[in-house]
Amino acid sequence: MKRRTFLAGLAALPITSSVAGCGLSSNTASNSSASGQVTGEITFQTWSLKPKYTDYVNGVIDAFQKQHQGTAVKWVDQPADGYLAKVMADASAGSLPDVINVPPDLSFPLARAGQLVNLDESLKDAKPEYLENAWQAFEIPGKGGCYGFPWYLNTGPIFYNKALFQQAGLDPDKPPTNFKELEQQALQLAQKKVAMLGQTPSIADFGLYGVKLFENDKFTFNEPKGVEFVETYKRMYDAGALIPEALTQNYTGAGAKFMAQQTALSPGSAYDLGKFKTDAPSLYANIGITKPITNTGSANMFLHGVSVPKSSKNQATALAFGRFVTNAENQVKFAKLASIFPSTSKGGDDPYFTTEDGSDEARVRVAAAKQLKTAVNYTPVQFSDQMREALLQQLADAMLGKKSPKQALDDAVNECNRLLK
Amino acid sequence: MTHRPYTPWLFLLPGLAVCLMFTIFPFLNMIVLAFTDASALGGGQFTGADNFVRMAQDPKFWVAARNSLLYMVCVVPPLVLLPLLIAVLAQKIVPGIGIFRTAFFTPVIASAVVVGLIWTWLLDSRGLVNSVVEALGGTRIPFLTDSTLLLISSMVVTVWRGLGYYMVIYLAALANVPKDLHEAAMVDGAGPVRRFWSVTVPALRPTMVLIAALSAVNGFRVFSEIYLLSGGTGGPGGASTTMVMLIQSVGRGLTGEVGYASALSFVLFVILLGLLLITLKLNRREDQL
Repeated sequence: MKRRTFLAGLAALPITSSVAGCGLSSNTASNSSASGQVTGEITFQTWSLKPKYTDYVNGVIDAFQKQHQGTAVKWVDQPADGYLAKVMADASAGSLPDVINVPPDLSFPLARAGQLVNLDESLKDAKPEYLENAWQAFEIPGKGGCYGFPWYLNTGPIFYNKALFQQAGLDPDKPPTNFKELEQQALQLAQKKVAMLGQTPSIADFGLYGVKLFENDKFTFNEPKGVEFVETYKRMYDAGALIPEALTQNYTGAGAKFMAQQTALSPGSAYDLGKFKTDAPSLYANIGITKPITNTGSANMFLHGVSVPKSSKNQATALAFGRFVTNAENQVKFAKLASIFPSTSKGGDDPYFTTEDGSDEARVRVAAAKQLKTAVNYTPVQFSDQMREALLQQLADAMLGKKSPKQALDDAVNECNRLLK
Repeated sequence: MTHRPYTPWLFLLPGLAVCLMFTIFPFLNMIVLAFTDASALGGGQFTGADNFVRMAQDPKFWVAARNSLLYMVCVVPPLVLLPLLIAVLAQKIVPGIGIFRTAFFTPVIASAVVVGLIWTWLLDSRGLVNSVVEALGGTRIPFLTDSTLLLISSMVVTVWRGLGYYMVIYLAALANVPKDLHEAAMVDGAGPVRRFWSVTVPALRPTMVLIAALSAVNGFRVFSEIYLLSGGTGGPGGASTTMVMLIQSVGRGLTGEVGYASALSFVLFVILLGLLLITLKLNRREDQL
């Protein structure tokens, strides 16, 4: 026991310079209760919303403060770069802001460490206000409890480059509709030295293929269907249907290659369409838009949420604010500004998400909004950054022929399960 | 002039406090954590030498250690010799020499991220270099997608970035080489090459040892170049990962294995300490000769 006290004491020292400067710190749970009075000052931390959405966020804060006299919300926006490091430093020091913007995979380790307020317990009536699939994304599978108000969602179509399709002799109006067609068309494109894809499959792609990702507290994507999926990619890689950088590429990098017209197909969102229009007009002139490829009938969904740490000294105010930021009215306003979608059960009924005006943007928006009703966040919340890296590395070995697809997936699953402990 | 005995300590105090807080304590904490299974969000039981046993059986560790060692062995010779040659040229007082010196020093002050991005654009499969290669009828070279070439590309960037810094050190040392030695050698009929090997190099030997030590330590600790050129992945299959990249990859984020990352840091520290001790010994031997 003495040893551990010593460790905790050391770790509590203000250390900043290395990875060793974290861990072993004790969590400082606050005595404040979720059912207390909505008053006092809280801090709200967002993920890279300044300066584009400054007016919107300030408007939400003003409205909340007017509705709840005696409250004051201090807004802190952190840039995307280093966001994780900031949350980590705050979490290990037990000083997380009162309301914090986190995606599910970031809320999971915090919730598992007992640092977040369980909304199912604190706000029993909140759940019906949100889409069921969005609420579920913030639950700890098998253990229950929801640890974040779902905030904005995104999903989208598949974009493809009609000019590159035409160049390879493919019908630009017949993009792939299933994985079999994807492979066939990719191989045809590869014969003309055109790469179809910019990255190896992510864990969400395995989900879209219908692979069982996680069962009984273990990762299971090395099942035969998973192996079959990797074998498909291996055939495409060998034929040159994936760019060489695909072996080390993440979603953003692959998107950049599509923008540079180095790949013919890429998943995207309404937000991306706007980006093509302004940043890649020659691509935009040839852009094709089609439904996402899925074997399960459900598209993939990305989402962000807001969580309330247990360490908040004003939990009641923090919870009220979290709910206010994510209510239908505020989410719809935000969605209209940012090409995203509301996660509230009624938000998607707004005519903005159901009516087309003939533009590509509206077509993508309406299709995506419809898609969201059944969309799934395929990425298991347990899937950490280290696990993503392990999968990427094992898939690279499989593509390069250093390992068989089965062996690579077995190794990836073993590593993920080890990291899970 | 007399002063109280504690007066010097008062002057030292601010510096010592910063050093204690930001260097000594983190260092001690790292050593303690190396023997635990600590994570970013608490926990942490003593696990004895488990982290070190795991390290010995971890293929990623051996790949990273091999790459770091290779990196060090490959970058030290060019970083000792090339800046010396450039310094000898830059030492001449000729019109426009300032531009030459500035050009070589610019990479030193440029942001590592900017440098990394520029080189990524140059070496990408569709980058400038490959476009030139293709235009000349060659096939694209996988600078960034082949693990060996990725390491070599990073080494080139490291050498390019280090040239200016070490050039400045050599320039300072060259200014201290006695002119009469050169004059005496000239009287004896020695040409510029002979004078370089027989006068300049021996006079600069201690500086060369210092630069070898500095570049060896920096080479073994390489992170930015390989991280940026590989997009943070350590190359295909992680085969180009270096020690510091492995530490970052293991310990980062809310799910980071801080205990194991600390053990890796500790081993890195021991290796670097060993390198420095060897250099110190070499330097002493030089002094005795």
